[in-house]
Amino acid sequence: MERVFVIGAGMTTFGPQPDVEVHELARRAVWEALGGCCVAPLQFKRLPSVAFAGHAYQGPCFAQKTLMKIGLQGMAMFNVENACASGSSAVIGAAAMIKAGEAEIAIALGAEKLTRPGGGFLPIVADDLESAMGRVMPSAFAMQAQLHMQRFGTTREQMARVAVKNRRNGALNPRCHFKEEVTVEQVLASPSIAEPLTRLSCCPVSDGAAAVILASESALKRLGLKAQVELLASSLVSGERTPFGIVDDKSEMSIRAAQMAYERAGLGPQDIDLCEMHDPFTIAELMHYEDLGFCAAGEGGSYIERGLSAIGGGGVAVSPSGGLMSKGHPLGATGVAQAAEMFWQLRGEAGARQVSGARIGLTHTVGGGVTKLEAGASAVMIFGRAA
Amino acid sequence: MTAAQVPIRPDLFVEAEPPRVVGSRDSLTGQVFFPAETMNPVTMNEGTLERHEFDGAGRLVAWTVISRGMPGFDSPYALGTIALDAGPGFIGQLHDWQGKTLVPGMRVRLALARIKAEKDGTEVIGPKFVPIED
Repeated sequence: MERVFVIGAGMTTFGPQPDVEVHELARRAVWEALGGCCVAPLQFKRLPSVAFAGHAYQGPCFAQKTLMKIGLQGMAMFNVENACASGSSAVIGAAAMIKAGEAEIAIALGAEKLTRPGGGFLPIVADDLESAMGRVMPSAFAMQAQLHMQRFGTTREQMARVAVKNRRNGALNPRCHFKEEVTVEQVLASPSIAEPLTRLSCCPVSDGAAAVILASESALKRLGLKAQVELLASSLVSGERTPFGIVDDKSEMSIRAAQMAYERAGLGPQDIDLCEMHDPFTIAELMHYEDLGFCAAGEGGSYIERGLSAIGGGGVAVSPSGGLMSKGHPLGATGVAQAAEMFWQLRGEAGARQVSGARIGLTHTVGGGVTKLEAGASAVMIFGRAA
Repeated sequence: MTAAQVPIRPDLFVEAEPPRVVGSRDSLTGQVFFPAETMNPVTMNEGTLERHEFDGAGRLVAWTVISRGMPGFDSPYALGTIALDAGPGFIGQLHDWQGKTLVPGMRVRLALARIKAEKDGTEVIGPKFVPIED
């Protein structure tokens, strides 16, 4: 299989963008990614190339409508929907084409516009029975939290510390939706959304776009670029059928996806320096510390309490970008933005939020609430600083 | 149901005393599915499922209270993860839960009640679960 390198990354600021059309958001992210690696759009006409676009709600032919804005058409383009994991799926799909030798250079982009007047939850999926009954995403995670609290004694304060850490990281990232720090007291005192989750326990509803440029080893040579960040391994799994769907005190599909990616990379959780994690709600991050092997089952609360997941905290620095909690969660853009953060972190370009000495990083997303399935998809990618 | 009410799904429940929900049962294995399936997704056999009405009783596994729901939903409302005695699990709204002390494992019984209201005022009726205090 061909090796896959990340050679460029771009991302708009996440947050409400009422005046910018979604394809224009995506164009800006792609243009930044191309500019960063000095690859002209014309190169995509000269080399075997492909584009993958991840989004959940933005309509047909998203990649085509975006890339024609920069003069790119005629190449292979795929549009990918996997709910919150749409962006990760786009990166993994684009990388697979390079691994297989079908393409030498690829654009993986993701974008979403979710904000609307009045705010509120994401729309209910009317054809899903439990959703039609009123099961919104915060309610599913709230029940996860309740089970984790019952089984392991996890506390509200421990969950609140996730928001505190990620908002602290986010205050260092100018592209975040939220740029202000919060305290444990503020998180606990904010209005209840779905007991025990409060408003500050939830990621914001955001607009935004992100893009990464991927290349094979031979494309690097042709383009005169140095190998700097490599996608070492990736995995994408779908949820198994379970009696209670997503309501569990662990994410079995995240465990499977992580094990598969670790095995493919020849690495383990002890090798990971930083992680961009799926943290739409505070409880999710605590559970995923355990699912990804950063600590044992039931020890997620202790992991955050001891400060291990902070930047420079001594464990895996989790979501130095601010995560979904601060950055925002424009579904299709989220996984691509995680890959972009890896690109910047592993090149030492992350500024005030830089994880010192970062060599290996992991991204993780979970997407989609489906009755009787744990979830729609879980994606893990492991990136390494090229030697 | 009245003229101003509609079921949330066709053939999902039976209005009777006591009410019942409609799932499917495998005639070979006895497995029960709710909502109904068109083939057995566990054994991967087609043609073994039959319509199956059951009482919808079960136990409460987890719950939460949604402070402000989607348009049309009464707020606040409670959602529960239910382990149905018949075998399947289900996430649905709780009914007549206010003022009760909810605890893991408590019994629930089925009720047919308003899930939400449409913009024109039509009530959408479906299965809900009533917590039973000891």
